[in-house]
Amino acid sequence: MELKTIQHLCELSKLNYDDEALEKVASEMTDIISLMDGIKEFDLSYDDTKDNNSISFGEVREDIVKPSFSPEKLMQNAKSVDDCYVVPKVVD
Amino acid sequence: MDIRRTRIRDLRKALDTKHISATELCSEYFSRIEAVDGRLQSYITVTKEKAFEMAAEAQKLIDSGKGTELTGIPIAVKDNICTDGVKTTCSSRMLENFVPPYDATVIENLKREGYVLLGKTSMDEFAMGGSNQTSAFAKTRNPYNLERVPGGSSGGSAAAVAASLAPCALGSDTGGSIRQPAAFCGVTGIKPTYGRVSRYGLVAFASSLDQIGPIANSAEDCAILLNTLCSHDEHDATSSRVAVPDFTERLGQPINGMKIAMPKEFFADEVDNEVREAVLEAARSLEAKGAKLVECSMPSLKYAIPAYYLIACAEAASNLSRFDGIKYGYRGEGATFEELIRDSRTKGFGEEVKRRILLGNYALSSGYYDAYYKKALALKQEIIKEYNELYDTADVILTPTAPTVAYKIGAQDNDPVKMYLADICTVTVNIAGLPAINTTCGYDKAGMPIGMSLVGKRFDETTILQLADAFEREFTPVLPKL
Repeated sequence: MELKTIQHLCELSKLNYDDEALEKVASEMTDIISLMDGIKEFDLSYDDTKDNNSISFGEVREDIVKPSFSPEKLMQNAKSVDDCYVVPKVVD
Repeated sequence: MDIRRTRIRDLRKALDTKHISATELCSEYFSRIEAVDGRLQSYITVTKEKAFEMAAEAQKLIDSGKGTELTGIPIAVKDNICTDGVKTTCSSRMLENFVPPYDATVIENLKREGYVLLGKTSMDEFAMGGSNQTSAFAKTRNPYNLERVPGGSSGGSAAAVAASLAPCALGSDTGGSIRQPAAFCGVTGIKPTYGRVSRYGLVAFASSLDQIGPIANSAEDCAILLNTLCSHDEHDATSSRVAVPDFTERLGQPINGMKIAMPKEFFADEVDNEVREAVLEAARSLEAKGAKLVECSMPSLKYAIPAYYLIACAEAASNLSRFDGIKYGYRGEGATFEELIRDSRTKGFGEEVKRRILLGNYALSSGYYDAYYKKALALKQEIIKEYNELYDTADVILTPTAPTVAYKIGAQDNDPVKMYLADICTVTVNIAGLPAINTTCGYDKAGMPIGMSLVGKRFDETTILQLADAFEREFTPVLPKL
């Protein structure tokens, strides 16, 4: 796998690698993609009209207002809160 | 009371006849956990205080005659299933201190029965792996040989049951994560049909493949647990409305005339001789009980590994994008919002998780989507078609659960391709959304357990439970010496 491809994937994945680690992961990904390439031999294409999907969205639950979680409970796992989630300044 | 590999019905009887109280039973398991788990490393969190509170409540139900099948029964839970107020880490630094604000639906179902939570079991990080060695915390060992892996990703649950540190446990299965560790640890585990058990509160890996299921000492125990775990759930749009049967109803019934298909590709050279022979011997034993063996073929198996990894990792890349260090999870450092997120993910995730995110984003990215992801979906259709054809002539499919027995710790480190190929016997079941059960069918020369899988038609868990139970009734398990 070319270095620029793995760098693009790191951008998409929001991950950082230093130069040495990037080289290692590029080598691993080359082996993994080579394994995945086996699928190219298979000559049928995907037909979305034939999906044997068991999921039915025909019966959805009623839209009824119910009690839910308190804000305190939902924020109990955040590292930085001040009545809301605190993040680095995004807009100057 | 001897709790080594004790079955639920025997625990039930002991509790109902006041031979032992729920609290005393709890103490027995914690004594064993304290004596053994330092070496085994099957639990990440032991919930002793909470367990005794739950046991006291369960005892009140039993004393008032309101107890049900699982009242007072201690259960271990895989650490990717949310438990209100109890840490749920997914064996990841990312969720090291995460305390869920709610219970998964399966936990709510168990609570209604008055179960007792023993603790949360170790797993491969975010359920990505088949050895438990990608856990950031407890790298579980195999109770039959501490130098070998317990399998994964539900390795902590399987090892805990095998070593009698819990009578039963919950696991989750995305590509074999209940069945393969159950095989490696010599216990029984079932992956139910996709949609049979609610996924609400299960930390998502690959949403179209994930399914929660039990790991226990017998098919009967799995059936008892499924009776409580299965329910339609309005919180999970993929949860089925198909009627839930009594999964114990056909246990003990004869298997005369049942047709068992054995696709030849599952018995190819990649499968160890001792594994192949043990499964074939088990097939002959089922034939002797009246079942009919059917030879058949499943040509698409040769593409199953790439199809599975492309679908699973594409879904994982999407599901794990929620971990940004803001609302919960590991929080890194950074002067900007972007830097903060990247640092959180880089330091919070382990190497295997990152590899799978990269692969998933590769399969979904512009220029590669048609060649990889859509091709994998085409394979999914073909695999479902081939399974349907097999079920035209058979009731159940029999395969080995894994190509080898449990291997030595470190044998697959730094070799992701080798690790992925080892999933060949299990992944098609998840792709097709079918139910499958692992039960032990023998031991190799080194004494390591060998597992076989019985794969059923969609929503026909009852038949595979009946067949596994019929086999177990005449099979004598060897217990680990731990």
